[in-house]
Amino acid sequence: MIGKRVRFETRQATEFVDITGRLRDEVRRSGMRMGRLHLQSLHTTLGLAVNENEPLLLRDFQRLLERVAPANAGYEHDDFARRFEVALDEPVNGHAHCRQLLLTGFATVLVEDGELVLGRWQSVFAVELDGPRHRELAIQLDGDFSLPPRGGGPGRGARAAVTSDLLELELTRQLLDDPDPVSEPMRRLVEAGGKRLRPKLVQLTAGIGPRSEPLRAASLAAAVELLHNATLIHDDYVDESAHRRGRPTVAAAEGPERAIAVGDYYFAKATRLIAEIGNRSVTSTIAEALEAVCASQIDDVALRGAYPGDRDSYLGVVRGKTAALFAAACASGALLSEASTEIVEALRRYGDLLGVAFQMTDDMVDFSESSGKPVGLDIRQRVLSLPLIYAAEDRTVGPEVRRLLAGTLGDAEVGRVAELVVSSGALRRVHAEAETLIEEAVQELERVELDGQRPVLISLARSAVDRTF
Amino acid sequence: MSVHLIDRELDRLESLWEDGLSDTYRSYLEAVGAYAPAAQPKLALAAALVEIGLRLQGLGGRAAAPPTLLMGDLCLARSSRLLADAAPQGVQVAFARAIEEMSAAGASGRAVPSTRELLLRAFEAS
Repeated sequence: MIGKRVRFETRQATEFVDITGRLRDEVRRSGMRMGRLHLQSLHTTLGLAVNENEPLLLRDFQRLLERVAPANAGYEHDDFARRFEVALDEPVNGHAHCRQLLLTGFATVLVEDGELVLGRWQSVFAVELDGPRHRELAIQLDGDFSLPPRGGGPGRGARAAVTSDLLELELTRQLLDDPDPVSEPMRRLVEAGGKRLRPKLVQLTAGIGPRSEPLRAASLAAAVELLHNATLIHDDYVDESAHRRGRPTVAAAEGPERAIAVGDYYFAKATRLIAEIGNRSVTSTIAEALEAVCASQIDDVALRGAYPGDRDSYLGVVRGKTAALFAAACASGALLSEASTEIVEALRRYGDLLGVAFQMTDDMVDFSESSGKPVGLDIRQRVLSLPLIYAAEDRTVGPEVRRLLAGTLGDAEVGRVAELVVSSGALRRVHAEAETLIEEAVQELERVELDGQRPVLISLARSAVDRTF
Repeated sequence: MSVHLIDRELDRLESLWEDGLSDTYRSYLEAVGAYAPAAQPKLALAAALVEIGLRLQGLGGRAAAPPTLLMGDLCLARSSRLLADAAPQGVQVAFARAIEEMSAAGASGRAVPSTRELLLRAFEAS
């Protein structure tokens, strides 16, 4: 059994503070595999709740609390003349105590396989009812702290699990070091999931050369993931995106000023972590990729609406915006392990092809109802995506697609463009191109010795374009 | 740094050169005299790009419009690459820490420390 305190500052009078990430960190640090996490508010005006972290819903909850126990309803608790031993700084907060009655002061969350057992939409909140204040929760972790069996020569699956664990631990460790105003938004993004393709590529390729050091590889992989997420935080502001990975974006939830600062912080932190590794080739490889990403972001925005566009312009943007970091992830891992130049360059080409194919597949997601992402974002933003380029240049549907994309884009127009793209066969064409690129990427791997990593790299490449639409 | 080399490093950022970047660059040149002659211009330009980039983005103030933010991002990325080319590890780390300090202050609503002071101090790292 482990007992601890979780401390935090609230900023609003009423505030739903999502503490899921903090609790996950505590579980991971404790090493508990199976058991229960008990938490208890140490205040009479701080409640606990498990619900969905959706900003509008949180405002609904707040209004509900205000309706049930309005601040100005006249509470006997606030009549200091009738109370004994009233502190000099006693707040007028009868309403906050009454609101706390509607919530709970205690909660238990189950833990399985070292993870909190929460439904897809569930988050754990500490609910401030009389802020802003310094707050404290007591937690206890009660269960089985034994490590998962790893003896007897781990197979590929077990190695992959250990590699993944190292990455997640390193990400968690890095975020623990950072000030809350930057770490909390980044933690939300990191914990919301993501495919972790770029760090996986770093870790896999870092196992190829003669100097294979999993801990250094995990540091580099975590830095690459933080760098990628930093670019996403700025992109979401640029694209006016409200959600990413099913959660509000930093810009939408906390404003563009915070988004810019958080992006800058992790851009800098990631470059520092990479510099601290002390391998000049790795530092240069990532720095060059980051420059390409930023330059292509400018092109991407500048080209918006320039339909029909052309495939070469598209590839130019995508090679910088997406493929550069894939290629750098592959090359930097190999460089870290001191692989030969021939291997590094083969992996760089593999990463470039994989990155382009990945972006093409991502473009198709914009037309898929079943992807879990909002349909039509690229259409609304008039992004020069490959399906839209192909549909815009199509002899049959092209004129209508171009006309629609040149005008005002309401829901009806966006829906019509999506229909036309699908009917034109553009998605099939893009998918076929992506598959061809993956086969070319796989061929790059056939030409060099990869110390047993080839099957995993091939599998990863194929899975990157094999999404259900 | 020859004019040709500066031109190359200013690709896409040419408009900034006349708009304050050249003056900022020259002021940092005075601070990098202790480094190898070939590294001095790159280090001065790297510092100037951080200063101009953060200003463009509006760090600690009102957020820049998206196209300006992207220009600021490119300034920071170019700076990072110049440092990777020319700076000792200690200076790379010190520059990153300076940006971390400023952006953490910006995110917290605190006054952002002076970029110039932090970067001049970063040049003293070895």
